[in-house]
Amino acid sequence: MNIIDLRADLRAFGAATRKEWRIMRRYPGTLLSFIFWPIALPLAFVFQAEAFAGGRSDTMGAFATRTGTEQVAGFLFVGWATYMWLSLILWGPGTALRTEQIRGSLEAIFLTPASRLVVLFGPAVSQLIWAVWIFVVVGLALWIGFGITVGPAEALRALSVILVGVPALYAIGALFASVVLRFGEVHSLVQGVRGLFTALCGMSFPIVVLPDWAQTVALTLPPTYLIADLRAVLLAGAGLGRIAGDLLVLAAMGVVLALLAAWAFAVTERHARRGGRLAQY
Amino acid sequence: MSVAIEASGLVKDFEKGRRTIWERLRREPDQRETFRAVDGVDLHVGEGEVFGILGPNGAGKTTTMRMLATLLEPTSGKATVIGHDLVTESREIRRRLGAVLSGERSLYWKLTARENLEYFAALYHVPARETRSRIIELLEVVHLTDRADDYVEKFSTGMRQRLVLARALLPDPTLLLLDEPTVGLDPQAARDLRERVLKLRDDGRTVLLTTHYMEEADQLCDRIAIVDHGRIVALDTPEGLKRNLRATDVVRLEIQATEQAEPSLLRRIGADGSITRTDREAGSLRLTVHCSSARTLVPLAIDAARAESAEVRHIEVLPVSLEDVFISLTGRALRE
Repeated sequence: MNIIDLRADLRAFGAATRKEWRIMRRYPGTLLSFIFWPIALPLAFVFQAEAFAGGRSDTMGAFATRTGTEQVAGFLFVGWATYMWLSLILWGPGTALRTEQIRGSLEAIFLTPASRLVVLFGPAVSQLIWAVWIFVVVGLALWIGFGITVGPAEALRALSVILVGVPALYAIGALFASVVLRFGEVHSLVQGVRGLFTALCGMSFPIVVLPDWAQTVALTLPPTYLIADLRAVLLAGAGLGRIAGDLLVLAAMGVVLALLAAWAFAVTERHARRGGRLAQY
Repeated sequence: MSVAIEASGLVKDFEKGRRTIWERLRREPDQRETFRAVDGVDLHVGEGEVFGILGPNGAGKTTTMRMLATLLEPTSGKATVIGHDLVTESREIRRRLGAVLSGERSLYWKLTARENLEYFAALYHVPARETRSRIIELLEVVHLTDRADDYVEKFSTGMRQRLVLARALLPDPTLLLLDEPTVGLDPQAARDLRERVLKLRDDGRTVLLTTHYMEEADQLCDRIAIVDHGRIVALDTPEGLKRNLRATDVVRLEIQATEQAEPSLLRRIGADGSITRTDREAGSLRLTVHCSSARTLVPLAIDAARAESAEVRHIEVLPVSLEDVFISLTGRALRE
């Protein structure tokens, strides 16, 4: 690919993101759901934790020892906000492809010289706007409801963690997109993987409470690092230096998964072109 | 004349049925049947030509079109499109190719016409500084300027089809593929689109279109390939195809006659023409006869009927059409 193609594809990428954002904006009801869920879901877990702990100082102490923070609400809100963002990304590329397929526009896109990455990730990137929205809603809820404030330095460090985690997560999303192209449906698989992440990656608990074997599995999953590091920088005041090892692992996972996703997508696209699956839904 | 499409021995096989993941994991033998949709198609389409592929549903027209559009990989055979290899240089082909394949469903209904074109202009790598003017120009070409900022969901089928055509013209294509472009359009919209195709040819573009409307093919195409069961059964200009039929007139007769009289009637009438269709309904025999002169055949048919105490109820004389060519080549009507 030459530099002119690259520039043209970057412009196409921007156009795909803008197009998706325009369509999303025309369904304003979605905005309401993204106000309600980031608050309601973690709040239920905060109340549950309150009920189990019974306000005793020894249970709070145990929690702080295991998590590095005494902020139960902060711990749960950050965990669930990350989970919701993660869900968007996991669904993102696969859903974008599937939506185009159902809409009948996938062939029209594949008739253009634009890179396949445009259709895969352009619409998915527009989901980042929702991610920002979710974190803003969570930040406001923590401030208003629990008096927890996040300063600009912590927010900046959290953004750095997110940026390091993005390639790995989008690569997983792209692997789902390959499944869409091959089998036409991905919902049950995404649900399964999402369940796995919920159970093992510590959305609502520290992974040290898991059995040893489960902790080992958890440490092979990118969301584990992402959630732990976000909590560390937002709630425990950790600097990037303290989590540098984690970030390195996360970045390495991103490279491996991105290569795997690129290979899988090329194989399934070729298969789709042979079997005429691009137009099938 | 330079060549826009050169294909030889294009074959496309599809597997019927499905092979489950379980069967794959157990490495069970693949027992699916293979269905050959395109069976050794050779094409030579010159630049600036309107070339039609005519055939009934399931004949392999759309599959051929999708292969040439780089959406389907041929099972075997070779093709170059706009000077590039179909398989190894597909991206180069897509830069100068416009296609109307999947119709109105392929638009974004929650975007306006202008927003749809803006998006696809970026995908077609139209330079940013040219995008605005090209969209304005194309909206003008397809008569949608006054609806440019309306959501596509508010458009009629004809308007959507025009917008799809505008989208296909975004890359300023040298080759345009149109798959059944007038299906579902009202007569006025279909006429507008046909006029548009002729203007595209006048602009020097090559157009490859599939249709099962004979009149459309006759009116638009410089040359036509008639396909049936995945093969090209005839290829010529519309006039050439009709000439090959060795008939100038088509006579349709309705004769009130008994079944006993039928063989004799067919023998007498068949002596001066080729009977391509015979139907019997409510005591009447309906015949379609290809002949060199209706002036000779019609009196002969009246005499034959009189001799068998039958009565000619209806006579219709028509010039030979592509439909007749198709029937003579395949033994069936196009819409059967």
